[in-house]
Amino acid sequence: MSRPGPAVHVAPSADAPLVWIEVAIRGGAAADPVGVEGLHRHAGLLARRGAGARDRAAFDDALDRLGASIDVGVGRDSVTLSAVTLTRNLDPVVAMLADVLAAPRFDLDEHERLRRETPQVLDEIRDDDGALATRWFDRECVPGHPYARTSLGTEASLERIDLDRARELWRREVTTDNLVIGIAGDVDEAAAHAIAGRLTERLPVRSAITLPDLELTTPAHGRRIVLVDKAERTQAQLRLGHLGPRYGIADTAALLLLETGFGGMFSSRLMQEIRVKRGWSYGAGCTLRRSRGRHWIEMWMATAIDVAGEAVRTTLGLYADLAERGLTADELALARAYVVGSMPFHQATARQRMQLAVRDTLFGLPAGYTTGLPAQVADLGVDDVTAAARRWLRPDELVTVAVATAELAEAGLAAAGAGPVTVVEHDAY
Amino acid sequence: MFEAPPGVILEAEGRLGRALVARRWRLANGLGVIAVVDRTAPIISYQTWYRVGSRHEEVGRTGLAHLFEHLMFNQTETLLPGEFDRVVERTGGESNAATWVDWTHYRLSLPAAELPLAVRLESERMSRLVLSPETVEPERDVVTNERRERVEDDVDGWLDEQLMATAFDVHPYRWPTIGWMADIRGVGLDDIRAFYRRWYAPDNATVVVVGDVDERRLLELVAAAYGALPAGTRAPAPELTEPPQTAERVRRARRPIASDRVLLGWKAVGQGHPDWAPLELLTTLLAGSPSSRLHRRLVIERELASSVDVQLTPFRDPSLLRVAITCARGHRAEESLGELDQVVADLIARGPDEAEVQKAKNLAETDFWAALVDADGKAEALGHHETALGDFRTLTELGDRLAAVTAADLQRVAATYLVPRARTVIIAEPDGSTPADEGVDEVPLAAPVERRAGRWRRR
Repeated sequence: MSRPGPAVHVAPSADAPLVWIEVAIRGGAAADPVGVEGLHRHAGLLARRGAGARDRAAFDDALDRLGASIDVGVGRDSVTLSAVTLTRNLDPVVAMLADVLAAPRFDLDEHERLRRETPQVLDEIRDDDGALATRWFDRECVPGHPYARTSLGTEASLERIDLDRARELWRREVTTDNLVIGIAGDVDEAAAHAIAGRLTERLPVRSAITLPDLELTTPAHGRRIVLVDKAERTQAQLRLGHLGPRYGIADTAALLLLETGFGGMFSSRLMQEIRVKRGWSYGAGCTLRRSRGRHWIEMWMATAIDVAGEAVRTTLGLYADLAERGLTADELALARAYVVGSMPFHQATARQRMQLAVRDTLFGLPAGYTTGLPAQVADLGVDDVTAAARRWLRPDELVTVAVATAELAEAGLAAAGAGPVTVVEHDAY
Repeated sequence: MFEAPPGVILEAEGRLGRALVARRWRLANGLGVIAVVDRTAPIISYQTWYRVGSRHEEVGRTGLAHLFEHLMFNQTETLLPGEFDRVVERTGGESNAATWVDWTHYRLSLPAAELPLAVRLESERMSRLVLSPETVEPERDVVTNERRERVEDDVDGWLDEQLMATAFDVHPYRWPTIGWMADIRGVGLDDIRAFYRRWYAPDNATVVVVGDVDERRLLELVAAAYGALPAGTRAPAPELTEPPQTAERVRRARRPIASDRVLLGWKAVGQGHPDWAPLELLTTLLAGSPSSRLHRRLVIERELASSVDVQLTPFRDPSLLRVAITCARGHRAEESLGELDQVVADLIARGPDEAEVQKAKNLAETDFWAALVDADGKAEALGHHETALGDFRTLTELGDRLAAVTAADLQRVAATYLVPRARTVIIAEPDGSTPADEGVDEVPLAAPVERRAGRWRRR
């Protein structure tokens, strides 16, 4: 009986002499062991730092000489190796990528160096208010949810990462059926499948791993604010949200319209109310996080500190209205037209088409799910969208994270009607 | 080849990528049109590039060019407030804009069938923008918030401002594209209207269209919509030459950051200069890849820095070759600067070998093609070269220029430009309660200061 093997998606294009390869390994940060957050990231980066006969220096030099790159991305649901190369150098780059997958060295000195480096990435996030707000929001939105685990880790969890854990993770997860492979660019279908074969020919033939359960629900906790105290801020970086649904359910099309109409366009309600009418923030938007399991509904903006409380209060009011009444007919018409009309831009290049297909597969969705959403929204009316809003939006459960100077922002935020304020030090996480 | 519409002449033609052709056409009123027919997707990128950026501003009125990047999406004589965005988004398209030192450009990404809409919208706001207190004041507030987010509360933006303000004495590159906060708040409506009249005219603009279009149909639409617009009557902006820098400039200050940051720049050349290509390859050789000299030395071998980045700013006039260093925990800026000096000295003394040069060329070739992969990228590259350098064909020639660079060229430009007297160094040190904070000798910095060399986008 033949085995299924890795999922392979190919998008040929002769526009430029480049080939992109993505290898997604199911697992990702949500599958990090509790208390060992950062393990998937550590293993992925370490695998790239020397493979086959080449140590890190030799590997870097050989790849650079080809004008190519292999980058490691760590998401909630997967670790992804992304390669790009000139067509003329495709063959040796494929061989090097295959080495990363099948024969990473996991050298001890590189492991120790990476353990020293990662806390510095934490420092860089702490220096970046937007990134810091997102990191805290991910932790605070739904504590205990697998997506609340940081992909980067914490100072404490990084101490628990050892080389054996990293090696074992790679052995367990880098197997034929646990991969999703995408190949795009200057390569034909047959050649692309041959490349996929070369990438997996040395890997264990095993089924995909069992992924963490992401369907948990959490008890209601009411509104609350986490104020991340950072000195000398002139603004408050704000994130507001709560647990949302999984991407790919029956309500996804209606929720896509809600997202678009409320915070996905320049003409959206949130952008108009916060930026255009009041000039409070350079930008304001709303996002439904796309993942394999239930993830956040998130709103974002950055206001001057003296109006942060007022901006939160206004946003709460707008969101409560959205949850109760959905979109107006005009908003819905515009959102629907935008969703339908924008799809060609999401698949204009071969690389985009490949990436959409890889993502749908990772999320367990049928081929063409995302590109088929415009057809689904065509039949939805105001009542459908309002019903979805009432099912999924939880204005009374909104968690607000603000990165700001606490002594300047706390009083305003406390009066915003967004729940009690807890002040934390910006470098406490 | 088709027959051009009356009053439209073909000026130039060049290859773009493997199989595309770019042509520049000219209307009688001076409007340039660059067209590239690319049928890989049913979309178009319609960009309007104006030869006005922050270099065209005056002291006391900085930020005007960038303010227009916001105002141009507001009301026109036939479009109500907010209507511009709504009609674009109703098609599924998007609009955006960017401002930098040498240019401002406006981008519409639309379904191919909406070409007439693009022509109507862009020709409308080129000449019939409504500038009133009601359209200006809300955007002034938005821009002040944009500046807080990207400069006041952002150490990288702050460093960029400091670097340009310290490195340049005369040239307008010394002030920020977003403008000083006081200027943003204080510029008057009369100045805003005068700026629009002076710079927004067909003879100061190039329309760049890439996508699934019929080229003759495009020219017919453009000629009909823009043909009657009068050319401008502006006096040329004064050409200011920055005097040679004669001594290294070092400034330091405390900021709320975790570890030392360094941003430095050597005076370099404009993008049209023959030395620009070898300097561009030099940036790749220094820090453009994991095996590059500076990355390997500072980040991997010595572990003095968590990141190092080198850029050559693509400006029309001489600007900077910049090095940005984020120091590792427990390490000071001076340690990284010492290693940097050694790497540069070694490069000047011995030069790269041919294999290292070829590596940099291969990496640059990959970057070149990757930047041209979609319609917006192609249009942006063409628009930049046409507007900043005067001819889009400099883009298509770039590959040849890079390929011709030799190891001796790299050694020569390193010796010529990477010299201490032409260098400006900005150091930011932690101002918190960390032990590393003790003993910092803070020197007053220029104020107001300028923002990052990165371009500004509307959103």
